Amino acid sequence: MPGDSHGKVVRPFAFFRAGARAEAPKVQRPVLVFEDVYKYFKKDQPTLRGVNLTVERGEFCFVTGPSGAGKSTLLQLVYRKHTVDQGRILFCGRDIARLKDDSIPFLRRNLGIVFQDFKIVKHWSVYENVAVALEILDMPHRLIRARVSEALERVGLEGRGGDRTENLSGGEQQRVAVARAIVTEPALILADEPTGNLDPHLAIDILTLFEEINETGTTVLFATHDHSLIAKRDHRIIGLDDGRVLEARVGLRSWGEGARERDMESPVHSAAPSSSGGLHAVV
Amino acid sequence: MDWKSTWARARRGWREELRLYLVAISSLSVAFVCVGGALLAVTNLDAMAARWGESGRLSVYLADGAATEDVARIRTVLDALPEVAEVEQLSADQARAIFLEQSGGSDLDALPAEVFPASLEVELAAGTSRARVDEIGESVAALGAVTDVETYSGFFERLDGLLSAGRGLAGALAFLVGLCVLAVIGNTIRLAVARRRDEIEVMKLCGATDSFVRRPFVIEGTLQGVLSAGVSLIVLFAGFLILRGHLDASVAALAGMRASFLQMPIVVGMLLGGALIGAAGSALSLRRYLTV
Repeated sequence: MPGDSHGKVVRPFAFFRAGARAEAPKVQRPVLVFEDVYKYFKKDQPTLRGVNLTVERGEFCFVTGPSGAGKSTLLQLVYRKHTVDQGRILFCGRDIARLKDDSIPFLRRNLGIVFQDFKIVKHWSVYENVAVALEILDMPHRLIRARVSEALERVGLEGRGGDRTENLSGGEQQRVAVARAIVTEPALILADEPTGNLDPHLAIDILTLFEEINETGTTVLFATHDHSLIAKRDHRIIGLDDGRVLEARVGLRSWGEGARERDMESPVHSAAPSSSGGLHAVV
Repeated sequence: MDWKSTWARARRGWREELRLYLVAISSLSVAFVCVGGALLAVTNLDAMAARWGESGRLSVYLADGAATEDVARIRTVLDALPEVAEVEQLSADQARAIFLEQSGGSDLDALPAEVFPASLEVELAAGTSRARVDEIGESVAALGAVTDVETYSGFFERLDGLLSAGRGLAGALAFLVGLCVLAVIGNTIRLAVARRRDEIEVMKLCGATDSFVRRPFVIEGTLQGVLSAGVSLIVLFAGFLILRGHLDASVAALAGMRASFLQMPIVVGMLLGGALIGAAGSALSLRRYLTV
């Protein structure tokens, strides 16, 4: 497996359709690129305004900003819940905005998605909730059992496959959702406020879990408005405010709580990372 | 395509929503009983119309004191016709006796035998058209010693009209009930699908294609439809047996035939129709939930 600049193990990308082969230069491409992306839900009032963003393979990025800033919309555009109105989004070099509807499932098979409300089927067992992602791939049942078992072990739920999901605690339910997201070994994990329904202690646990997954080379986009969570870690921060991207290269812990509030208020138009490590806009 | 997984998911759906499916099947069965009942009525009315349509008769009334040779000549003419199955001669006394037996009224005992003319009762072969019956009647009426020929054409025309109206009514009822069945099935299946929308959403977010999501639901809908149609047929057959036990003698006396149950093609058609409606209902109900 190729390694990236941070020394992490990065697996080759799976492509949208089985049988597609990646040429060597394509493998080196960023996992995700937003190019001048606009999204309108109301006319003349874009939710995202000219978003430019590049996420390299193996990165862990916080996506943050106040409620209504466009965090969820940004992620939803990636898994094609919505389509962009202007600009383009490249996932593994492919413009996902141009995908036909019948190709969207193949895009999603390359993504792991985790939600604030878990989106697990309460009346299914833990095993069934995780295995569904592999059943969709028509994988042999023997392999599914092995992969699910491995995924449950990674999220700390080994031996719990037979439990009904509705009997689990909130933190455990979110771990099931994470297991389902990682069991297919996706190129990119999109976590949309995954700690929003959890208490601070469990939130740290889940964040740590995502970091461990990221350690194995999986790219993670972690949307949260919880600054206390962001402040505890040194990860790239993609700030959103009023649909614009304000980006910090290092975590809030490095550039201070005051800087966060100050810089979030006024986007700086710059194409290069700030030498001080503060916010820079890629507008 | 992994049918094993599809069946497993369909079985899981049945297991988890068993109570809802039992309610759905009972509702659908009631609707199918209505359709089946209407079809049963149409079937028996058709059989009755066919039976009566084929039972052509003529009554050739003879003049009082008709000579035996004249009567024998008329019989020879009738026997020579290929449409004539049987000719029976009734004297005035025999005609009176039959009338009194059928009417069962003692008040009519006083009627003298002279009131009833002697006749030749002609039974025609099955499938003889009404036009041909009229032709034969006109030819026979022209023979000597014949005072009148009754072809019962007016009676059969009125009967045909009644049966046709009955068939139309039953057909319209079947159509209306069919529409109700579609609505009931659609709503029942939509309710079942709505209860499982979280499951559909999860599968779609994991990258399931529409057909992957749809397959188990279509199987479940098909089974619901077939079972509902099957239960309704069993209920109808039981009801039919009970009713026939009580009414068969009267029906046979009135209509000249025994009531019959739905024919095999209709039974198979109802089962297949149930399967089709269940499958289509599931597939259509799913559409709105597949746009995740």
